[in-house]
Amino acid sequence: MDPADEQLERVGRSIRVALAAENHASEEIRVARTDFLEGFASRTSRRANRPFAPLHNWRAWAAVATAATALAGLGVWRQLPISFRSNVPAVSTTPGDLIEASSVRAVPLDFSEGSSVILREGGRMRVIGADSAGARVLVENGTVDVSIAHRRLGRTRWSFEAGQFHVAVVGTRFRLEFRPQSQQFKLDMREGRVVVSGGCLTTPTAVTEGGTLDLSCQPAAALATPSESPKVATARADELGPFEASAKADRGRPAHAGAPWHDYLASGRLEDGLRSAERVGYDRVCQTATSKELLALADAARLFGRSRRAVVALQTLRQRFAGSSDAATAAFRLGRIAFEKHHAYGDAASWFNIYLREQPSGPLMGDAFGRMMEARQRSGDLTGAREEAQQYLRRFPQGPYASEAQGILSQ
Amino acid sequence: MQALRDGHPGAAALFYDQHAAHIHRTLRSALGPDEDIPDLLQEVFIRALDSIGKLREPDRVRSWLTSIAIFVARAQLRVRTRRGWLRIFSPEHTRPVEVNQPSSDARRALREVYDVLDQLPTQERVAFVLRFIDGMTLQDAAEAADTSLATIKRRLARAERKFLDAARMRPTLKPWLEDGTRWTQQTNS
Repeated sequence: MDPADEQLERVGRSIRVALAAENHASEEIRVARTDFLEGFASRTSRRANRPFAPLHNWRAWAAVATAATALAGLGVWRQLPISFRSNVPAVSTTPGDLIEASSVRAVPLDFSEGSSVILREGGRMRVIGADSAGARVLVENGTVDVSIAHRRLGRTRWSFEAGQFHVAVVGTRFRLEFRPQSQQFKLDMREGRVVVSGGCLTTPTAVTEGGTLDLSCQPAAALATPSESPKVATARADELGPFEASAKADRGRPAHAGAPWHDYLASGRLEDGLRSAERVGYDRVCQTATSKELLALADAARLFGRSRRAVVALQTLRQRFAGSSDAATAAFRLGRIAFEKHHAYGDAASWFNIYLREQPSGPLMGDAFGRMMEARQRSGDLTGAREEAQQYLRRFPQGPYASEAQGILSQ
Repeated sequence: MQALRDGHPGAAALFYDQHAAHIHRTLRSALGPDEDIPDLLQEVFIRALDSIGKLREPDRVRSWLTSIAIFVARAQLRVRTRRGWLRIFSPEHTRPVEVNQPSSDARRALREVYDVLDQLPTQERVAFVLRFIDGMTLQDAAEAADTSLATIKRRLARAERKFLDAARMRPTLKPWLEDGTRWTQQTNS
């Protein structure tokens, strides 16, 4: 080996050893983990705010630029996969990602070729693929209002999937509603024509302008072989009422929708939302807010140094929505506040324990275990800390708290 | 991997726990001391989830993540360069990268290594880090840097020459260039 290379190999080995000796790595990994998982769980990661999914790979950019130059203009534009965007913050525009509408706000998606899909309140969907002719949309739950732009030049090919059902579209406007638990599928046509297949339909069924297809397939029927008779509860085609009049998803919309604090929180302006809620009467707001709004209020309060307000929101959530997953999340956040803001380590351990009891396989389970171990150690409960450390290492031998657990056990 | 693509939170946690330590090491070795490392670590995983659908060979997930980490590290190095320029014009509006005070020879040397690396162009620095600090083969380094073998060799040759010229001017680094074990022994002691 070249002497210079030998020198550099030696330096490199030494750097590796020195880096491995640093003791803040596990803390940094842990901090990032909590933020990553909380962001993942609440779908509020930074990537979601991008209006159109960017191409990160320089080769992709280069390919796009070269193609645009060579083929020029409209012809090329028609060949590019369509993209989409939403004016709602925290909505991912990456194909395949889950798109969720909160219980108080619909999510409109605008596609680059002129089509639009509005995911109604409480719904879940994914854009699972897109090409130059259209997109494939999976409706997991809830209602979507769809308006597909028919392209005069080039093909239009859109499809929607809902459970076992498949809807092939050309150019049209319709509303699709799907309830996975009951396998209820409803399609109201306003313009154009679609063909529905799959599920408990034995043959593809065309639905034309003004028609409605309303099916209720039992789960067993949905899995039935094609030779078996489907259990179709209702299937009719009749005149539609006004498109908006049948907005079933609007039921249950909170009475306070439109209140300033609510709108601020929904648009991500947390500090303004918090101040507005305080002006209206914070305790009263806590008694009427939904569980998601209470979590957002608590986040706003915690971020802006009002931990007492955060505790009020989280405890109210636990009282009003006892037994829900949001109530368990509230317990975890109460533990964090007790640990980080109040240094009340005994209380923190109790809250993390509550989270684990209520969500034994929840997304924050590993962190709750690790933090409970640390809280017990800091509260002076060394026996408890050792037990938690043993348990932690059994479950997460390579987890982010593993080095702390080993440290506790070696004491 | 399918659970991850489906957005299952438990899968995200498992994915993170399996790879976070490796990605942290990659970022740390590429960047040196940097207070933004927790944010960058998170960014690597967010980017990974954004593009998980493009991963065709699940058994190559580690090298795929490494290339994302290098992409993120390169962006951070460019941010630092811009901060450096801003500091010239408005020192009160920018903050320097915070570095712990060295408390041992090893840490002081580590600090000096990164001082030297800070003088290298980003692409050459990345090549040097992948080859000598992360200990990758040339092939793996080329893949992580998303470039060809010939290009990584050229960058590496330039980086080696510049690094050695600068390191030989620094008394703290000189003994380690001559006998790398001294550092190792001091760190372990």
